[in-house]
This record gives sequence, structure tokens and C-alpha cells, in this order.
Amino acid sequence: MLVKDYMTRHPLLADPDMPVVDAQRFMVEANVRRLPVVGDGKRLLGLVTRQSLLVDPGRLGSLNMWEIAGYLARLTVKDVMIKAKDVIVIGPEATIEEAARLMVEKKVGCLPVLEDGAVVGIITETDLLAQLTSMMDLRSPGVRATVRMPTDQVGGLARLVNAIAARGWGINALGGSVYPKDPAWWDAVVKIEGVTKEELLAVLQQVPGETVVDIREV
Amino acid sequence: MIADHRPRVPILAVRDLAIVYATRQGDVPAVRGVSFDIQRGETLGIVGESGCGKSTVAFGIVNFLGANGRIVSGEILFQGQNLVGKSEGDLRKIRGDRIAMVYQDPMQALNPSMRLGDQMAEVLIVHRGMDRKAAEAKCIQMLERVYMPDAANVMKRYPHQISGGQQQRVVIAMALLNDPALLIMDEPTTALDVTVEAAVLDLIADLQRDFDTAIMYISHNLGVIARVADRVAVMYAGEMVERAAVADIFLRPSHPYTQGLMRCVPRLGQDKTSSYLYPIPGRVPSPQALPPGCIFEPRCAFARRECGQRRPELREVAAGHWASCLFAEEIAEQGWKPPAPAEKAPSPGASAFPPVGARRAADRPILKVEHMKTFYRVPSRRLFGGREYVRAVDDVSIEVRPGETLGIVGESGCGKSTLVKTIIGLETPTAGTVEFMGIDIAQPVSRRSLDILKNLQMVFQNPDSTLNPSFSVGAQIGRALRRFRKLPGREVRAEVIRLLDLMKLGERYYDRLPRQLSGGEKQRVGIARAIAGRPEVVLCDEPVSALDVSVQAAVLNLLLEIQQQMGTTMVFIAHDLSVVRFFCDTIAVMYLGQIVEIGPAEAIYMPPYHPYTEALLSAVPIPDPRVEQARIRLSGTVPSALNPPAGCRFHTRCPRKLGAICETQTPPWQVAATGQRIFCHIPLAELSRMASVITLKEAPHAG
Repeated sequence: MLVKDYMTRHPLLADPDMPVVDAQRFMVEANVRRLPVVGDGKRLLGLVTRQSLLVDPGRLGSLNMWEIAGYLARLTVKDVMIKAKDVIVIGPEATIEEAARLMVEKKVGCLPVLEDGAVVGIITETDLLAQLTSMMDLRSPGVRATVRMPTDQVGGLARLVNAIAARGWGINALGGSVYPKDPAWWDAVVKIEGVTKEELLAVLQQVPGETVVDIREV
Repeated sequence: MIADHRPRVPILAVRDLAIVYATRQGDVPAVRGVSFDIQRGETLGIVGESGCGKSTVAFGIVNFLGANGRIVSGEILFQGQNLVGKSEGDLRKIRGDRIAMVYQDPMQALNPSMRLGDQMAEVLIVHRGMDRKAAEAKCIQMLERVYMPDAANVMKRYPHQISGGQQQRVVIAMALLNDPALLIMDEPTTALDVTVEAAVLDLIADLQRDFDTAIMYISHNLGVIARVADRVAVMYAGEMVERAAVADIFLRPSHPYTQGLMRCVPRLGQDKTSSYLYPIPGRVPSPQALPPGCIFEPRCAFARRECGQRRPELREVAAGHWASCLFAEEIAEQGWKPPAPAEKAPSPGASAFPPVGARRAADRPILKVEHMKTFYRVPSRRLFGGREYVRAVDDVSIEVRPGETLGIVGESGCGKSTLVKTIIGLETPTAGTVEFMGIDIAQPVSRRSLDILKNLQMVFQNPDSTLNPSFSVGAQIGRALRRFRKLPGREVRAEVIRLLDLMKLGERYYDRLPRQLSGGEKQRVGIARAIAGRPEVVLCDEPVSALDVSVQAAVLNLLLEIQQQMGTTMVFIAHDLSVVRFFCDTIAVMYLGQIVEIGPAEAIYMPPYHPYTEALLSAVPIPDPRVEQARIRLSGTVPSALNPPAGCRFHTRCPRKLGAICETQTPPWQVAATGQRIFCHIPLAELSRMASVITLKEAPHAG
């Protein structure tokens, strides 16, 4: 699960000399929220977001109506973009959790993906959320169960998987994390196709030391 | 798959594009009203005959139209930005960074005087400002990505030091260095051998998956299109006449032109006793003299009165399936029926040919080649003495019986052309005998008797270079008549006209010069000249490979008719296995100067196969997306005929090599129950257990 497999390749790009008005229309038409700005050789110069396109009212306060029109018409992308040195970027070989960490820590919604200085793609929070849905296999119907087990106990997950495998069922999705409200517990989520809720519950309840905290058909 | 949340802005959207070329006769509207989209990671195949505007569209996108071409209307939206009207500087930047092109001839894209590494690295140094070391490392990485063996070493070579298939790989690698969003490929595999072509097509598919590149793939070859494209657009006379997903185009063609193209291509499953090609009558109209109604109306079998009056729009006839025909639904529904049997009777039908086996037993061979060797002497690289030879044909024996057609197939450089050139006398055999009608003819053509010359004629691959440009058609055919049939002068003209009629050309071609003819017409004149003396045997060296599919179909039909009417024996060389299957009774597969498998046509296409035949069959592009082919790819290139490998010559590339025996011992000839002989060490029983290379899978969906 590396960035290169989940990013959008060949993203829409903007030219530094593109008028802001055009960039705004371009983003609305294409329904995108960010545009990397590139120079020759697709080298990253900056990033335009919908926020950066909002004109600061303070700057316009002292201008009359005609001056405002002129000011807006002359305004280009390079005047409003976030400069490259302030843009948080990532490489195509990084892991997606690394991308997620960067987005969380820096509070940004997207990361241009750079290879040898050139923009090869862009990865956004939506890409990561889409990946979460496919990790949880949201697309096909099945039974989803959350099983809680003690964090300090080794082999809990293996016992869970073995119990399911013993019935000959395949696991469509499997994930897990520390229970957010108490780090002493660990929650595993499994999704299985072609079984009923009752069948699965019966099997999971046999696993020693683990409790089923949630089971539902999705 | 989590692709559907991504922006649906197509990489390329062309809207109502019209391109004209200014000429002295006024503007020529070469492309009119063409619209299409290509999404990220999608391949759009553009197919059509030559001169229908495919390449003009491609050149229009990058604005390489030349001094006299210009876009008169329409939009070309590349990633949402209109390229029409952009300044040359802006365009250059976009072309360099985000659009790449690969053309038919790799040698034209490579600088012959620069090492490959230098020209590749230049792309990165100039465009990306990378330093030389990093650029070279990246180039090697990319060459490895296109499966180039020994990439670091290739960087140091010049273009002429690598093979054509490898050159094309270098060009593709170079095109991908900048990670383009759009890759335009204009007939990128047309100049390559089938086995190399198959490998390059596989490569394109792999790269597309990894780089998510949108590909616009132009080809005249329906088989190649069926293999690479996700969606297909069919162009005719400068307009787009049909556009749909690949399966819809091939299984449910809705425009009569598309249907016509499909009928022109011999299928691998067909042989000449069971099928007939139906060429599209007439020819593509000139863009200056378009018919008033539907542009295809004059050639259309379905045309009705309305068709001549108004021009149909490209409209959606089924979900995602666009066609510009007033009666598209009807046509797709009923399909096309061949003309009534009464009409078809004079053409070769099922009953026209006596069963192959019966004929074979009865006759003695008319042409018999035994243990023939043709070597070309080359200067030795050693200091003293010694001669080296290119063993172009090395110990080949064939027999052709009267009225039979022998097909010879193999990759380029396998010696098939040398073989027929030796038979015709353009080369002198180094050893062995060539017997024609019982007479030994192993001598140059200048010393052969008139009778032999008359009875052994040849049709060449390139009609342009075989007709004398300064003599009229009538004079050239007439000369053969006067010389071989000793016709008195006054009868010659009538006979030439009779021949022209037979070629479906007619009297009006009598006084024309070769430059006034199209490629297909020239080839027909070449055939008329070859058969004028009523020869017993005609040798055809790739007679249709330079022609468009519809013309190819007409010429193939013509050859079949001639053979049927005159009982001519033919030796037919082709690299296209489906054409050979359609045309020949017996097929010989050649590899590096030797025949590796020979037998009845129907037997060659079924197991047991020689491993080389198996690889060839798995490589041939089939114009039917339902067909599944085993994926057998040969590694490496054909070894040099200067030093052919010992033992079995195919062992260096053979995927089924047994071991040391293949490297040291000449394989035995094994005769299969189905009649073919196979030159291989692998026991026949094992060869018979091979799976058939080509299988038809169930239709993916019903329209």
C-alpha cells in the first residue's frame, strides 16, 4: 500500500501565469479543490486551493470599483498560490499511512506527489478515505464483526483468524486498531461474505478471551 | 477499485474538430466534425483505411500540421485546457511535459549519430534540469521497465546497433521518461514482426497499468486494435463514423463501413474452401468531392434513397455506442448477408476446389526443391583467408503440386524471400537442386530458357518499384504477351484489355502510367503482368502486405479467382498467418533459413505444433475480442544467420527446450497423423498434448 498505487496520476495542473479568474472557473468545472502549479518539466512551483483564491477584503478596501475590476483581472495564480517551499509533499514510494500522518499533522487535505522534483500525482484525503472503504470491503454485502481482545496478549488475532478459517470461510476484509477509549484493548474488524450473522456470532463466541462488541450485516 | 471518486475530467476531449490543408486547388477539408474523449488510463483505438484522417487528427492535437494545415474549428481540451489557439511557446511546454508521441518508424525518432544513452538523458537534462548522473540512472531504470535486456550496455550503443523491436522499445521508454498524461501512438508496431509486435503490445498494456497514461492508438490493423483498445473509433473519409467499446465494435458493428472492414479481414479460423472475403466496392471519396448525403452512401450495400439526400449525424444508437448511419439499429440487428449464391457462383465457393487430398495423390510435383542452400558471401573479419557466409537458406526441401498453393511464413530474416528469389533465379543456389516441370533450373534467370521464364513468374511485395514508371500499363502487360505468347501485334491490345477486365480494372486503364494508379491498382497490374504469359507457377512475395485491408481483400479474391480459372500453382509468402491460412493448401513455417514445420494448412493451426509455430500463432493479432490466445512470447531476437546456433536453430529462443540435446543434435523430422512434418526433438506424443493456442471464449455480453 504505497502512495504510487493510490494517488491520482496526471492531475490537473495550473500554469503560474494563469489568471485567477480562469483558475477559479477551471476548478469549478473540473470539480477539484486543489491545483498544483508547475513550471517547465512539471516542477512544483506552488499549490492553489479554493481558499487561496478568496480575495482578501482588506486589500480591496482602499480601491474603488474600477480599480477592483482591474486588480482582479491582473491577478494571476502565482500571486495567490501557496509557494512551493510551504507546500507539504510526499514521494510515490512512501506508504499511505505516512501520507495520512502528514495530512493529519500538517492539517492539509492533499499532498502533491513528487518524483525527482516533478509532479507525478496528487493524493488527497478522499483517496485515503476511499482506500478505507475498500479495506473494509464496503462494496460487497456481508457480515461485519468487531472483536475486542486484550492488547498485551499475543496471538489473539491468530486465534480469531484460525476460528474463521476452520469453518472454511474466506475473510474479505480485516483491520484493527487500539480501542480509542482504552489502550488496554485492541479492536479487530472482520468482514465475511456468504454467512449469516448468527453463524458468525456462534463461531466468534467460541474464541477464548475475546468478546464480540458489534456484529451487523452490511 | 477505488477509482470512481477521482475527477472525471478526461485527459483529452476533442470537440467538433475540423482541419483543412491549403492546396493550390483550394482548402481540402481533411478532418470534419470529429469528437471523442480519452480518460486517464484508457486506450482509444482509431482505425480506418489510409487517407481517412487518422494521423491528421493526431497531428492536429499536437499542432504538427505543417505549413499548410490548420484547425478551422473545434476544441482540443487537454486536461481541461483548450490547446487550439495556444501560443507556440505554451504548446511546446505542454507537448514536452505532458504529451508524448510514438510513430511507426523508430529510426526516424532516434538520432542515428548519438548514443542512445545520450539522447535519452537529454530529455531529462533539458526538460527537468536533472544532472547527468541522475538522468542516466533514471534512463537505465526506464529501459529495464520496457524489458530491454542489458539496459546499461544499450545506453552506450548507437541506434543502428539494436534491432527494430528494441529501437521501438527505446522510443517508448523515451516517450515515458516525462511521465506523459497522453501518449499518441501512430502505427507503432506496423513495421515490426508479429512476434515482436506481440511483445511490444504486451509492454504497452503493462505500462499503461503502471503509469495510468491515456493512449490514443492509431492503427489500420483490426487485430491489433482488438488487442490493445478499450474503446474504438472508426474513421472514414475524414469523419468519425462509429465509436464504441471494443467488444461492441467487433461483435455488433452498427455502421456499414465498420462491418465492411470486418468482412475484409481473413480470420484465422477460415480457409479458402469455406469462406470468401467481401471487399468494399469503390474507393474512399476525395475530401474535395464528397457525396452530398452520407459520405459512405456510394459504397454502401444498404444505401437507400434518404442516404443520398441528407448527411447522418453521429448519434447514440445504444448505450455508449455511437454511429453515424440513418439505419444503424436495423443494420446491427440483421447483420450483413453475403450476396445470393447465384451471384457468388463464379467466385471460389466451397464446391470449386477439389478436395486437397485427392489432388495431392494424383499429381507429380511441378516444383521440387531439394536440399537447397543459398549463402551470401560476406568479407571475413579475420586477417587471413577464410570466407564467411550468411546462411540465408540452409537445406530446404519443398514440393508443390499442380494447382496447389504453398504458403511460407516466418519472421523477417528467416530466408523466405531468399528462397523464392533463388527459385525464380535472382539468386544462384550454393547447393541443392531446383526442379521445375522435371527440368533442373538451378541457374540464374539470365540463362534460363524462354519456356521456363514464361512458366515461372513472380508478383513482388512493393508494386511501386516493380512497374516501370515511364511505360503505360498496356505496354507493360503487352510486352509479356508478345514475348511469352508470341501474340501478333494486333491481338495484343484485345488480350491486354481482357486481362485488365479479369483484374477488374477495365479498358480505361490501358493508357495510364503507374503514377496514376493507387497501390491496389498497381498491384493488380503487377499480377496481370505476371499471369499474362499463362505461367504454370506464380511466386508471390508478400503481395498484399503493403495494401489497405479492403484493397487487400480484393487482391486476395482476385488471386483466388485466377488460381481457380487458370489452375495456376502458387507459392505465397506472407508474414500474416491469417492471410496464409485463408489462401494456402500447404504451409511451411521457416526459421533462420530452415523449414521447421510443413504440412496441410488446417493441420498447422492445430496441435501438434512446432514450438516456433505455437509462438507465432500466439502472437498473431486476431480481430475478435472474444478470442483468447495463449501468451507465449519469444525472448531475444533471431540469431545471426552468419553463425546459426548448433543443433536445433530455435533452441536459443525455444520456450519448450528439452536440454542439451537441442543444443548439439540436429532434430529429426517427425510426421504427425494429421499430415504435417515437424522438425523437433520433442516426441510427437508430447507435442500432440499441447493445448490449442487459440480459443474462443463465451461472448462477454449480448450487445
